[in-house]
Amino acid sequence: MANAKVDVVIVGAGASGTLYASVLAKAGKKVVLLEAGPDWQLSDLISSDFWGRRVKPAGVPFTFEGKNPYGYAYQAGWGVGGAALHYFANFPRYLPNDFKVKSEHNRGLDWPISYADVAPYYDKVAAEIGVSGDATAEELWRPKGAPYPMPPMKTFRNGDVWKKGCEAAGIRMVPAAVGMNSTEFKGRPACIYDGWCHVGCPIGALANPQVTYLADAKKAGAEVRALSTVTRVLTNEAGSKVTGVEYYDAKKEKQVQEASVVILAAWSAQNPRLMMNSATDKHPKGLANSSGLLGKYMMAHYASGTWALFDDDVENHMGTVGAQYMSYDRYDKTSKKGAFGSTYIVAGTALKTSDLGGFANARFDLFGPQLADFMKRAKRGITRLTAFGEEMPNIENRIELADGKDEFGMPMAKIVHSFDQDAVALWNANFEEGLTIAKATGAKEFWSARGNQPTIHLFGGTIMGNGAGDSVCDSYGQTHEIGNLWVAGPGLFPTEGASNPTYTIFAVSQRGAEQLVSKWGTVAG
Amino acid sequence: MSEIERRALMKGAALSALAFTAGGVEVLLSPQQARAQNIAFKTLNADQVATLEALGDTLVPGAKQAGISHFVDQQLSIPPEQALLEARILNIRPPYANFYRAALGAIDKASKTQNADRGFAQLNDTERHAFVDLMRQNKVDGWQGPPGPFVYLVLRSDAVDVVYGTMDGYAALGIPYMPHIAPEKRW
Repeated sequence: MANAKVDVVIVGAGASGTLYASVLAKAGKKVVLLEAGPDWQLSDLISSDFWGRRVKPAGVPFTFEGKNPYGYAYQAGWGVGGAALHYFANFPRYLPNDFKVKSEHNRGLDWPISYADVAPYYDKVAAEIGVSGDATAEELWRPKGAPYPMPPMKTFRNGDVWKKGCEAAGIRMVPAAVGMNSTEFKGRPACIYDGWCHVGCPIGALANPQVTYLADAKKAGAEVRALSTVTRVLTNEAGSKVTGVEYYDAKKEKQVQEASVVILAAWSAQNPRLMMNSATDKHPKGLANSSGLLGKYMMAHYASGTWALFDDDVENHMGTVGAQYMSYDRYDKTSKKGAFGSTYIVAGTALKTSDLGGFANARFDLFGPQLADFMKRAKRGITRLTAFGEEMPNIENRIELADGKDEFGMPMAKIVHSFDQDAVALWNANFEEGLTIAKATGAKEFWSARGNQPTIHLFGGTIMGNGAGDSVCDSYGQTHEIGNLWVAGPGLFPTEGASNPTYTIFAVSQRGAEQLVSKWGTVAG
Repeated sequence: MSEIERRALMKGAALSALAFTAGGVEVLLSPQQARAQNIAFKTLNADQVATLEALGDTLVPGAKQAGISHFVDQQLSIPPEQALLEARILNIRPPYANFYRAALGAIDKASKTQNADRGFAQLNDTERHAFVDLMRQNKVDGWQGPPGPFVYLVLRSDAVDVVYGTMDGYAALGIPYMPHIAPEKRW
C-alpha cells in the first residue's frame, strides 16, 4: 500500500530521529516518523526494574561475534523515545582532542569537523531541552561556552564520599552535566531524586524525547507511526535518489512511504543493516557504500567500576542514575602508561537492588546466604565510581548481513566486535586507579567490578568523513553518494571519545537538521 | 505485534501485575500469590519446576517462596514483547522457554551424572551450593547446555528479581522504594 508522499520520512523515533523531526516539522516540512516499537507514553513508565525492561527490545535481529560480543539489548531502545527513553541522561561533551585523534596521535581517525563546529550546538541543545551543570567548572578542560540553563543537581553522600579519594589521586571532580531538571524548566518539574531514571522518567524531569523533541515535533504536525518496521530504503531507477521506504505496519502489512528525503535514525547497527538490505544493481554493496566502509568501524565504550562499602548510610537510594560528579582529568589519550584512549570518570549514582546495574551484582560471585548477608550490609552503605574508556576505531569491528531472516523476511545481521590491546590495557589501568581512589575514601571495603569487559554504547558503521573514499556520510549526516539519504546518530562518529554520547548525538543532529533545512531546495528529491 | 497484542501490552503496562489463569478465569496476581494459590503451570513441567525452585532458593534464599517458578512460567507463556525477564536484555533469542528448558535440563542432567542419579532438587543444601559454585565457574564436569556462568547470571537475576526487586523486597531490606508510578500488587 502506498501512502501520500511526504517531505521527510524518519526511520526511528529515538534521540536523533525525534530531534530531526522537531527541527524539520517546525520548518514546515511534512514529517512521518516510523518506529518499530510501541508508542510509549509517560504513564507506561512503571518504577520497577523488571517492568522497565519492556521498553527494550525482545529478540534483536542481530547475532554477536568476536572476542567481546556486543551487549545490545540492555542498551537499545524499542519504541517511541528509543534508548533515550531509558538513558541515564549524562550530558558530558566530547572534548577538542576527540575530534583530531589521527592528526594528533597518528592513531584512529579524525572527524572532518572540530570541537568548535559542534560547540554552538551543545549550547543550543542545552537551551532547548534543559541541562543542569556548572559550565564554568568544566572550563578546566574545555573552551568557554554558554552557561547551562539550570544549576547543578543536588548531590548525596553516595557521590560526596568519592571526592576525598579523587582529590588524593589528583583527580578534580566537578558537578556532572545531566539532561535533567535541577529546577523547573519550561513547565517541566524539577527532579525529586528517586533514582528510577533508567526505567523511564514519567514526571518529565528528565529530558527524554517524549517531553522534548518528540512533543515539539508532534505539536508542529509530525506524524508518528509506531509498530512500523522499515525493511528497505527505495531508490529511483538511476540509483541517484531515494524515493521512500518500505515498511511493515502494526498489522504486519507491507506499506510504502514515499518521501523527498529519507533520514535513517535507527541506531548504529540497524542503519547499516537497512542500507545493506537496500542494495540494488546501482548500489550492489548497499546504499552509499562505494567505499566499502558501510558497517565498518563499530566501537563501544567499556567501564571499569569500583565499589566501596561504608559502615554509615551513604544515601545510596537517593539521587539519579546519572552521575553527580564527573572528571576529564584522565581524558588525555595518553594519560595511562601502556594504554591509549581517553578515560571519563563519574561518581555518585542512585542504586537499586536488581537488574544489571543493581547492587545485587556488586558481588556477582555471591549467592545463597552469603548474598543475603551482603545485601543487608550493602543496602545503605555501598556506592560506585565508574571510569569509562575509549577504544580506537578498528575496521575489523563491523556489521554484516548474516544467514537467517527476521519475521519480515529481512536478513539478520551480525555484529563482530573485539577490543584491542590498548583498550584492554586502559580498562585494567582504570581498575587499578579506581582501587587507589577507593582506598583514599576511607571505605571499609572496596573492590573492582570485574567480569567480562563490557561493551557500552554503540558507535560507527556509517562514519562521517571528507568524501566517499574515506567514509559513508559528511559531517552533517548526508550520505556522500545519495543526496537525499541522510543518517543520524552515533553511527556517524569516527571516534567515540570516552564520555556518554547522547549530548553529542543531539548536538551533531541539531547541526545536521539545520543544514538540511537550509539546503532543502538542493537536497530534496 | 498485532493490535490485540498491543492492547494486552498496554493493559499490562497500566496494571503492572501478572495475569494468571485460575479456574479458567484470568486473575492478576503477584508470583507469590500465584504460588500460594497453587496456580497451574503453563509451560514448565513438574521436574523443571522442582529444579527451578531448588535452584532459586540456592541462589537467593526466599526465591521459592517469592514465586520464582510461577514468575518464570508465566513469563514464558506470554509473547516475548511483553516479557519482564532479564533474559530479554541479555541478547537471548525468543522463545525464552528454549533457554530455560536447556538450562534446567543441563543442571538436572549434570546433577544426576555426578550424584548417583539424583536430580538437583534431590540434593541437600550443601550439595546444591557446591554444584552452583562449580556451575558459575564453568567447572561442572560433563556440562551439556548453555554456558554455566551464563545460566548462573540469568537464573540468579530471576531470583534477585522476585526476592529483592519488588516493593516488598525493598521493604524487607529497609530501603525506601520511592516509585513515581508504583507497580500493582507491590510487584
